[in-house]
Amino acid sequence: MIFNTFSYYLFFLLPAAVAYRLVSARLRPWVIVCFGSGFFLYFAYGMAGIWGALCLAIFLWESVVSRLYSPSSRWCILGLVQSLVLLGIFKYWNFFTGLLFYHAANPLRWQGAFLPLGISFFTFEFYHYAWDRRAGKTEQGTLGEYLAFILFFPTMVAGPIKRYQDFLPKLRATPGEWSQDWERGITRILCGLVKKFAVADLLTAWTNHLNAHDLLIADRRILPFWLLAYGFKIYADFSGYSDIAIGSARLFGIRVPENFNWPYGRRNIQRFWQCWHISLTRWLIDYVYIPLGGGRVAKPRIYVNLLIVMLVSGLWHGAGVNFLVWGLWHGLLLAGHRLWRELRPEPNLHPVPVFLSRALTFVLVIAGWGFFCMDMPTAMLFFRRLLIG
Amino acid sequence: MLYQLRITLEYIGGSTDIAPEFLRGRVDTAVRCAVWIGAILLIYAFCGQSSKFIYIDF
Repeated sequence: MIFNTFSYYLFFLLPAAVAYRLVSARLRPWVIVCFGSGFFLYFAYGMAGIWGALCLAIFLWESVVSRLYSPSSRWCILGLVQSLVLLGIFKYWNFFTGLLFYHAANPLRWQGAFLPLGISFFTFEFYHYAWDRRAGKTEQGTLGEYLAFILFFPTMVAGPIKRYQDFLPKLRATPGEWSQDWERGITRILCGLVKKFAVADLLTAWTNHLNAHDLLIADRRILPFWLLAYGFKIYADFSGYSDIAIGSARLFGIRVPENFNWPYGRRNIQRFWQCWHISLTRWLIDYVYIPLGGGRVAKPRIYVNLLIVMLVSGLWHGAGVNFLVWGLWHGLLLAGHRLWRELRPEPNLHPVPVFLSRALTFVLVIAGWGFFCMDMPTAMLFFRRLLIG
Repeated sequence: MLYQLRITLEYIGGSTDIAPEFLRGRVDTAVRCAVWIGAILLIYAFCGQSSKFIYIDF
């Protein structure tokens, strides 16, 4: 739950934001560290028990190892590997070992598997820091500053994914005027809560029907509306979450990256991804697409790179075949768009083609959510009923 | 027209700091109060059915 609980606001956000503004500059990072640790222990214990809470040790270990990072250092490679290994063990162990023993019971199955709170997001921040330290793109900062970066609780659980070189100057700067930051921050938080409570949760009444039983008995004409409802629900839910995170950070006087910029109704799939989960898209471009060669390699390789990036994106969203298919779907759309751009370099700006391209992009994105919100057999049933009857 | 609507929504949603031209001055304070009251009423009306945020599980 977290952002839609009173305890988040009463025990963590308000006292932390007030304390942060009242203490001296030297103590500010440690205010974030103390409240961030408390936040992690409280919510991780609530979600995954004592073992979940003990995962705070991951942050402490990472902060110790990060002191060894320097430009061109092998310690940075260790940092990259350890962050991926941790994610692999906690998130993908049962998925990949399950693939190894596809036709039999999985003897390597981890029965008590759990996900440490926010692991998919803090892994990206650990990885980014190790990578950029190795490339000499960011300074080391003090231990307190780095801990404040990784334990900054408004963005710890589900982003927006920050960059150390952006965060550090804001941490070191004196927070801006209280009245402006708090008025805008609280407005943003309220807006996020409205999106969550009054839109996303309301649409759940429709999206709950996206299960095998209801799909079998429903009139097929209603199916597109259920999927459409999911498209709006996930937008309201995640952009609402991002609003609350960004508004919470604003109470500290810290601005974190935006995550959404009116993604639905964009002219093509590339523009959609530039406006949907922006901090993730930028991370994937900087740490997956560009290291693979980006757009500077032979044309067939560019298409392969796009597919790889979106497969990584799909796998990151969840350890399931349906997420891989969702990633593949978007990879194919991006590759198809790139091919179209090469055949027709000049976009047609006539209103009718523009409207059609916006509508087509919207329909294709909504269709993709089918693989995102249902497991593979259910998604196949959905599309079979929708298209064949 | 659409651009005006967009910057107005972004302002009343807290995404931007600078109010659109027609909202500046005394109207601005009234609009901000109305937004807070409206938002709190909506949250109060719908908060009973709350569920977990989707991306918490990712």
